[in-house]
Amino acid sequence: MNRKFGVVAAATAALLVLGGCASTDTPAADEGGTDITLWLMGGDTPDTLRDYLKTEYAEATGGTLTIEQQDWSDALSKLTTALPDAENTPDVVEIGNTWSPTFTNVGAFSDISDLHEELGGDKLLPSFVEVGKVDGANYAEPYYFGSRYIFYRKDVWAAAGLTVPTTLEEFNESVATLKTAGQSGFYLGGEDWRNGVSWIFANGGDLAKKDGDTWKSSLSDPKTIAGLEQLQALFADASLAPVTEADSTPWVNINNNAATGAPEAATIIAPGWAHWSIGDLTPDPKDATKTVATWNDDTFGAFVLPGVDGGAAPVFAGGSNIAISAASKNQSASRELLKIIFSEEYQTLLGQNGLGPANLDYASALGDDQFATALVESAAGSKLTPAAQGWAAVEGSHLLEEFFGKVNGGGDIEALAAEYDAKIDEIING
Amino acid sequence: MSAITSETARRRTIRAPYLLLIPAIAILLLGLGYPVIWQIVTSLQQYGLAQQFGKPAPFVGLDNYAALASNADLWWVVLRSLLFCIVTALLTLAVGSLLALLMAAVSKAAKVILQIALLLAWAMPVVAAMTVWIWLFDRRRGVVNYLLDMIPGVEMNRFDWLAQPSTFFLVASIIVIWMSVPFVAFSIYAGLTQVSDEVLEAAQLDGANGWQRFWFIIAPMIRPVIAIVLLLQLIWDLRVFTQITMLKDAGSKSGDFDLLGTYVYQLGTSAQNFGMASAVSILVLAITIALSWFYIRSLLKEDAA
Repeated sequence: MNRKFGVVAAATAALLVLGGCASTDTPAADEGGTDITLWLMGGDTPDTLRDYLKTEYAEATGGTLTIEQQDWSDALSKLTTALPDAENTPDVVEIGNTWSPTFTNVGAFSDISDLHEELGGDKLLPSFVEVGKVDGANYAEPYYFGSRYIFYRKDVWAAAGLTVPTTLEEFNESVATLKTAGQSGFYLGGEDWRNGVSWIFANGGDLAKKDGDTWKSSLSDPKTIAGLEQLQALFADASLAPVTEADSTPWVNINNNAATGAPEAATIIAPGWAHWSIGDLTPDPKDATKTVATWNDDTFGAFVLPGVDGGAAPVFAGGSNIAISAASKNQSASRELLKIIFSEEYQTLLGQNGLGPANLDYASALGDDQFATALVESAAGSKLTPAAQGWAAVEGSHLLEEFFGKVNGGGDIEALAAEYDAKIDEIING
Repeated sequence: MSAITSETARRRTIRAPYLLLIPAIAILLLGLGYPVIWQIVTSLQQYGLAQQFGKPAPFVGLDNYAALASNADLWWVVLRSLLFCIVTALLTLAVGSLLALLMAAVSKAAKVILQIALLLAWAMPVVAAMTVWIWLFDRRRGVVNYLLDMIPGVEMNRFDWLAQPSTFFLVASIIVIWMSVPFVAFSIYAGLTQVSDEVLEAAQLDGANGWQRFWFIIAPMIRPVIAIVLLLQLIWDLRVFTQITMLKDAGSKSGDFDLLGTYVYQLGTSAQNFGMASAVSILVLAITIALSWFYIRSLLKEDAA
C-alpha cells in the first residue's frame, strides 16, 4: 500500500514538474497599450535617442518600449535563433545592412511596402532600401548610415614633417615612416577586414561579383590581389596591432596613454561617431574610474582616406537597417514605433548625434563641422558588401577574418585567395 | 486460494520497480531523447536559415556525413580537441591528486584554508573567472607579462598569448585545469579517507616507503574514484565551450583556434548550416562514447567481480 502510494506520488510530482514548463504567459496589459521590444545592435544609438523612443512610444500608444542591446559579435547567432520564435522574437530589430539580403530572403521580416511612402519613400537612402527589398516589396528599411574615415595626431604628423596625404600611396608611405617601437604609424588589426577592405575597393577590386544569378567570391581577381598586396605591406610596415585583432576600439590608441603620456598610434581609421571618444582625457566628474575625452583641434584631425588617384577611396559603407519581425505578435504596435523612428524629430536627432539619418532630407542635421564633412564625403563613395543571399553566413563563419589575418600574417596571397574563394563560394549563394 | 494470492503478490512486487522507473525514464526521454532524435533527424537533412524560418527541410541521406568525412579542417579540429582533452584531463588529475594528498597530510588549520581556497575557485562563475584570466594574460597590461618581463633576459613585454594556437591552447588549458582541479581534489580526498590507517601502518611496519605505500596500496584502493573522475574530466574537457569562446572573443576569430564545441556552434548558429552542425555533433557524441567505452566496460567488470 505504502509502496503504491509512493509510486503515485512520484509520478504526480514528475507530472507537476513537467507540467510546470508548459504554463503560458498571460498576454500583458489589457489596458494602456501593447508592450514591445526593440533590439539595437551595439552602442551606436546614444542614450538620449533611446530615451526619446521610449517616451514617444509611451505617449503614442500607452505601452512600454523595452530596448535590448545586442553585441555585434554574436548578434547573428541571436537573430537566427530568436527571430523565428513567436514567443521570444524581438518585435522590431536593427540589423547590420549587409545581413539584410539574407534575412529578408528567408522571410524573417514583415512586408511593410504599404508603410514605405509614409516612412519617407524616395527620400530614404536608396542603397539601403535596395538591400531590404525582395521582389519589389520592402521588408527592411534604412536605420542610419555611417562611414569610416581617418583620425590622426596632428602633433605627431607635424613633428615628422608630414602633411595630409592626397593619394593612397602617399598615405601608405607616410604612416610607414611614423612607426616606432612603441607607436603604430597606422593602427589596424590583422583580421580587421571591414577596414582593410578599403584597400581592395580603392584598387578597383571586390569581395564577390555577380555572374548572372549567382555570386562568386573574387578574392583572386588581379585588382583584389593588388589591394591585398598593399594591405599586407601596410600592416607589416605601419601597424603594431596583433594580427589576430578584428573588431577593436582603435580610438584608445590615438588618445594619450595614461601611463606613458604618448599615443600608441599616430593614425587610425574608425566610424565617424568615434570622435566623441577621441581627445584630451580628463577624469569624468560623474564617475572617478572613467575619463572623458574632449576633442582638441590642435592635436587631433580627421581626413578622408585618399584614393589611388586622389579624391576619396571607397570605404565600407557602415550602417544598419531596421525591420519588424514576421513572427512578432504585435505588428500594429511595431508599425507605430517605425513611424516614430522615421519622424522628422528622430531623424534630426540621429543627425545631431553624428549618425547619418535614413531620410536624406535631414542629412543637414549632421552639421557642417569637419566630422560631418568627412562623413558625407566618405559616405558618398562608400560601397556595400555583396547583396548575396548567403552573405550573412559568410560573415558568420568568420572566413574573412581568417583570410585577412593570414594575409596580414605574411601568407602567400594568391594561394590564400584561391583557397578562400573556394570556401566562400560554397556558402555565398545560400 | 492461497496460491493465487501469493501469485498476485509476487506479480505486484515485480511490477513495482518498473513503475518506479517510469518518471525517471520519462524525464530522460523528454530531456535527452528529444534533442538527440532531433539532432539525428536534422543531420540527415539540408537544414539552413530558410528551414529555420519555416521552409520544409529536404532529406539528403548521408550527404552531410560524406561532406564532413572529406573536410580536412574538421579533422584538424577533432585531433586538436582530443589532444587538448587528454592532456588537460591528465594534468588536472595529477594536480588534483597531489592536492588531495597534501590535504590528507597537513594539519587541520592548513586543511581548512586549502579547502576554502579550492571551494572558492570551484564556486566562481565561469564568465567572471574568464574575465579575470583574460586580464591576467592581457598583452599590454597583464600581470603575467609584467612578472615574466621582470626576469632578467626574458623579453615578454607585449607578448600576445592569444595570437598563436600553441600559446592560446596553453592558456586555455591552464584555465580549464584551474577550474576543474577542486572537483578532482575533493573526490580523491574523499577516496583517501576510506583507506584504513591499519593497512598503511602494517605496510609501514613491513618497510614500505612513502612512494611504495602510495603506488601499491593507496592507488589501487582508490582506483575506482580515479577512474570515474578521469572519465568525467575527459568528457568535460572534450566539450569545453565557454572558455574557448571567451578566449576567441579576446583574440582571434580564425578557425585555427576552434575546438569541437566552438566549431559546432559556429557552423550552426553563425554560419547557419544546422544540418552539418548536427552531423558534427553526432560525431562528437560518437567520440565521447568511444572515449568512455573502455572505462564503462572496466567499471561494469569491477561491479560484477
